[in-house]
Amino acid sequence: MSSLIEVRQLCKTYQKALGLFRHKQVLALQNLSFQLDAGQTLAIVGETGSGKSTLAKILVGIEQADSGEVLLAGKKHDCANYQSNNHLIRYIFQDAARSLNPNQKIADILHDVLRYSTVLSFEQREQKISQTLKLLGLLNEHGNYYPHMFSGGQLQRVALARALILDPKVLILDEALTALDPSLRAQIVNLLLDLQQKTGLAYLLITNQLRLVRHIADQTLVLHQGQSLDYGPTQQVFEQPQHDYSRKLIKSIQF
Amino acid sequence: MQLLDIRNLTLELETPDGLVRAVDRVSLTLKEGEIRGLVGESGSGKSLIAKAIMGVLHQRWKISADRFNWCGQDLLRLPYQQQRQIISRDIAMIYQEPSRSMDPTATVGEQLAESIPDHLLEGSWWQRGYYRKKRALALLHKVGIRDHTVLSSYPYQLSEGLCQKIMIAMAIAKSPKLLIADEPTTALESTTQAQLFRLLASFNQLKGTSILLISHELETVARNTDTLSVLYCGQLVEAGDTATLLKHPLHPYTHALIQSVPEFQPELGFKQQLYALHGSIPTLQHLPIGCRLGPRCPNARKECVKTPVIERQQNHFYSCHFPMTGKSSHE
Amino acid sequence: MKKIRLYYEEHNKGPMKLLWQHFAPQHFAFFGLIALLVLVSLALITPVLTPHDPYLQNSQLLLLAPSWQESGLVSYPLGTDDLGRDLMSRLMLGTSYTFGLAILAVLGSLLIGLILGCLSGMSKGVKSSIFNHLLDLALTIPSLLLAIVIVAVLGPGLINTIWAIMLALLPQFVHGIRNAIMQQLKLDYVTAYRLDGANNRQLLFSVILPNIWEQLVLMGTMALSTAVLDIAALGFLGIGAQSPTPEWGSMIADSLDAIYLAPWTVALPGLLIFTTVLAINLVGDGLRVAMKKRREN
Repeated sequence: MSSLIEVRQLCKTYQKALGLFRHKQVLALQNLSFQLDAGQTLAIVGETGSGKSTLAKILVGIEQADSGEVLLAGKKHDCANYQSNNHLIRYIFQDAARSLNPNQKIADILHDVLRYSTVLSFEQREQKISQTLKLLGLLNEHGNYYPHMFSGGQLQRVALARALILDPKVLILDEALTALDPSLRAQIVNLLLDLQQKTGLAYLLITNQLRLVRHIADQTLVLHQGQSLDYGPTQQVFEQPQHDYSRKLIKSIQF
Repeated sequence: MQLLDIRNLTLELETPDGLVRAVDRVSLTLKEGEIRGLVGESGSGKSLIAKAIMGVLHQRWKISADRFNWCGQDLLRLPYQQQRQIISRDIAMIYQEPSRSMDPTATVGEQLAESIPDHLLEGSWWQRGYYRKKRALALLHKVGIRDHTVLSSYPYQLSEGLCQKIMIAMAIAKSPKLLIADEPTTALESTTQAQLFRLLASFNQLKGTSILLISHELETVARNTDTLSVLYCGQLVEAGDTATLLKHPLHPYTHALIQSVPEFQPELGFKQQLYALHGSIPTLQHLPIGCRLGPRCPNARKECVKTPVIERQQNHFYSCHFPMTGKSSHE
Repeated sequence: MKKIRLYYEEHNKGPMKLLWQHFAPQHFAFFGLIALLVLVSLALITPVLTPHDPYLQNSQLLLLAPSWQESGLVSYPLGTDDLGRDLMSRLMLGTSYTFGLAILAVLGSLLIGLILGCLSGMSKGVKSSIFNHLLDLALTIPSLLLAIVIVAVLGPGLINTIWAIMLALLPQFVHGIRNAIMQQLKLDYVTAYRLDGANNRQLLFSVILPNIWEQLVLMGTMALSTAVLDIAALGFLGIGAQSPTPEWGSMIADSLDAIYLAPWTVALPGLLIFTTVLAINLVGDGLRVAMKKRREN
């Protein structure tokens, strides 16, 4: 069966200016390929500068890949068209507080999301908003609050609500769980697992926390300087890493 | 020998909403050569305690303690100058974001040379400069940096891991008795984290430096410490040997912390729900009375509105009216 | 039916109320705000309030002393000037000229600056720079000199000085707005909005403008004090408001010859100019401190 998202031979290089006239080529991604099925979690592991954020930006449409293609259920997909892409792939930022407009109430933020990308009427939007808030354990009254009135954990839920209100199939979590406290992280992880089971969401987890990866990721991809070193089922990658770098990474969390 | 002996430390702050007790009667002891972990989530007051030990808390905080002894001397009763002298001689601290904690306008070499105290340099005053540079280089070697070009670079040009090692070098320049590490590895990659902990352990073994490791991740602290203190919302919840604590936690909060880490539960299936306490950490303005875990605790009962006293069970301290006995969670 | 508050949340005030919460305890800024409100209301409703006609000359009562001196009359509270016109009525009407026109100049400049600044901020590269530096030519000449040049071309008069002041204030606004917009564009929530499918226009109006209006108000208050001083200065020089317009600066110039006989005719308009500029600066300062405090919380 064809997977939900398939990425083939993605390449991206950046031009970095060195001085006034010279340029340096920085290879952000080199021939990256992977697959993601519905209801599965793919973890992308790598240090800063390995190209994780570039990959996230390409999938979400902020950047364009130089070559390679992104296939959706077998057909070529254009990620740069925000209004159609965001029904498929949504993005969760690392810092939930900074990703919400501080001058808008939550309900207005969610209304705007629906207004820009869908053609629902006002009543239909209201219904969808209360549905989504309930799904994430928030109340309708929370819609009247501004972002600074929420605690950290609730803000993550609001960010999730904004992402899930368009019923996407893939959620990209770019270091979204790194900065949370352990008890909060456990709550959010439980929520994510619950959602995955209920709605068949697929997650693309970009993180460095290998313990979390071992617990919730079906597949793991180790990225180093734009190249995918190890890619496969999590258990296989953890027990038989093929490359030195992955071996070093995995050993660093062993007892 | 007891290096640090703090009993019933309380830190209060005057806010527009009233007097807020950020740290409520926390006790901490540290022996020579011991690595102690201080675990707590945000709002637990662990950074405040570290700053109180270093004596760098803002003046509007009110510090009170029954005992605040460093090597037998009560620091709170001493005049300010003497306090600073003792602390600067014996205690050093490293911070969470190393590249932000260093002076961005001076090269690393200058900063490292500056941190070496005068009395550790031999030679007469015109040779001081040369010996200072030599010592700086020796310090770099001690933390495992072989590349000498680091000395002439600026902090922004170096990676976080390298910066953190340089901060450790600056901290051990004066051979302190205690090194306080305030979340030293949160900004680092996992490979560098392992390196760092090995470095700290080597200092502990070779030079006998005691280390107070502050973190919010239980996994990092559990593997690198001898003893552990767990804080919640400014209250000391449990303290004791790391191994005993992990095997038989007596306080529901410690139990919840351990359970929320999948690594400590080999029986937990793949993609199973983790154990998590419901609710969230209360803000400073809305601290519960009595035991601050009360609203979230699964065992909470009427008596929990009174703050529990610290009880002791064979070097294992806990403060709970209804401790969890006979529960084994980690083999 | 009143909305039932189910949860006791600490910060249950919107961003505007929080700003007011930090602004109000600052006593100087608060009094400055009251003074400004009084001036604004004076500027709007003066023609109805003046005790005498500001243009009516009374040859019997030339240079009458203010009412608190022995030779003064209560019916002319602040005395009269050298043509017998009531000083108090003239000062009150002068508010609408000096202060009111300054506000209009700043508003007009803000509007044009907003258009150019937005065009510049939302585009990239050379196009952005062109819009940004379009009016930088106006920075080459000091504002007063610019006003003189324009007046030399168009002829003296209050309206022409308004154009001059607007032109002098524009480059600052364009640069400030463009910088504020560029700063906003780097933030996470703007990216989130783009990902939600907003196009540039929706982004500008829903997200960016509501978040920079506070900085705009701050820039406006700074520009307002400059505008008030410029109008008064040009009036004093004789190239702005022409007599008999009771603009404060020209009132000072007219009464300068009689300064030894009747110093109040010079001091009182000057005092009012000083009060206006002080109030504006106090409010601007208080606003800046309140915004900083709100951001820190």
